[in-house]
Amino acid sequence: MDEREFGEITVQLEQEATLREKLKDESSKLDQKSRSMQGIMNKIHATPTSQLPKLIETVKPLIESCKQNAKAMAEIVPPNSFWRWKNTWAQSIQGIVFVLALCRFLEKGTLITLSEANEAIGVQEEWSDRFTIATEDYLQGIISLVNELSRLTVNAVTLGDFDAPFRISIFVKDLFAGFSLLNLKNDGMRRRFDSLKYDVKRIEEVVYDVSLRKLNM
Amino acid sequence: MAAAVHPSSSSREMIMEAFNGHREVLDEFYDRREVLVKLSRDITALSKKCIFMLHRLMSDPSNTPGIEREQSLVAAKQGYECLKQIKSMLENAREYLRGNEFWKYQRSIAPGLQEFIEAYGFAYYLEHNALVHYADIQAYLSDDSGIPYFPLPPSDYLLGISDLTGELMRYAISAITTPGGRIRARVVCDFVRDCRAKFEAFAPQIKGLDQKQKATTSSLRKMEDATYAMAIREREYAASPERLDQLVSEYVSGSSRDHGWDSSGRTNQGDDHDE
Repeated sequence: MDEREFGEITVQLEQEATLREKLKDESSKLDQKSRSMQGIMNKIHATPTSQLPKLIETVKPLIESCKQNAKAMAEIVPPNSFWRWKNTWAQSIQGIVFVLALCRFLEKGTLITLSEANEAIGVQEEWSDRFTIATEDYLQGIISLVNELSRLTVNAVTLGDFDAPFRISIFVKDLFAGFSLLNLKNDGMRRRFDSLKYDVKRIEEVVYDVSLRKLNM
Repeated sequence: MAAAVHPSSSSREMIMEAFNGHREVLDEFYDRREVLVKLSRDITALSKKCIFMLHRLMSDPSNTPGIEREQSLVAAKQGYECLKQIKSMLENAREYLRGNEFWKYQRSIAPGLQEFIEAYGFAYYLEHNALVHYADIQAYLSDDSGIPYFPLPPSDYLLGISDLTGELMRYAISAITTPGGRIRARVVCDFVRDCRAKFEAFAPQIKGLDQKQKATTSSLRKMEDATYAMAIREREYAASPERLDQLVSEYVSGSSRDHGWDSSGRTNQGDDHDE
């Protein structure tokens, strides 16, 4: 057996191990931000609708600062190996997409697109083989948004906003119709998509409760 | 929540349009993955056929004693011939495995790739009595101008080669009953021992290699036990190795039908994880 040949593999594997460590460090920074943003946005359930813009303003600087992390990632990941390493940060990215989509809905009532989400954290188009938001991670973040909105429906009513369920209901139904267009396989996304109908149902129930009592008049 | 928002039908249209785009992206991924999973299965099946063919050629009872080396070369040549088909299958798939795409599907293609490396390694061993190098396989899976179809992951190389030790064990055990095969069995045994020692360093870094090392260890034990049994008897017949050859072949021709190495060697190998 030839030591020199195994040497080549050893070098490759060592480089990989170093890279893995670096990516783990960078990913955990991104993860921390993702989690603190989600923590802040969790306050929407206890914030009156009129105060929401102020709350969203507090999360904006954090979103902005993700640009640095994205840049750092794109610099570390070697060319053509996005899919090799993507799982290292997928969950953090899904959380960030969720926050971005939630802010956008609360501000404008619309859905943030994949390219807008990429733009928001400063992802450049030419990074697509190193660091970008994968379609599946974007969609996972949007599913989280629906989960969250179903909770918000309930809590907004508690806080006296009787219009919220109607706005949310229309939006979530549109999203559900969108997800229905996908040919999902039996994987994680499929399971989460299947759970969406319970969120839709919950929102419908709140709409019903509010309409029945004419609270939104 | 913005008070003045009335999600209009245009918002719905926007969402539907966006999701149509997402469907296209996902469909393409799922479709290609399916193609590659099928390809991987086909490659596995062909590789196994090639390995069986090599075993058959090497243990053919009509083989003439004394020209084992030539036989190995002939077998290796036929093996390579058989593997060409796999090469062209992977060549056809290169479109799907280009650049950034490779790692998207690596896990779908890995089982077949590893099985191919095992078969190639076997043919290579018969030809050179040596371990096929990582660079050799990468070079084989490249086009005429030397551009690789895709970057061969070191992990798939190591995992494929690790499976090869099981095949070498079968080869050694069946060779042991042929004239001159006892020496060959010992050479193979030493080779596998060497492989096992060298792979040990990689085991912590490569997922699944540790498990394969266990299979290699058990293959090694079988070979060591068999070569030990032969060594003992060689001492007994020290004056006349030919007499031992004759005794062995008489024994084998009398009992090979019901005590073939194949059935006992196969069952507890655990080297067919990918199936």
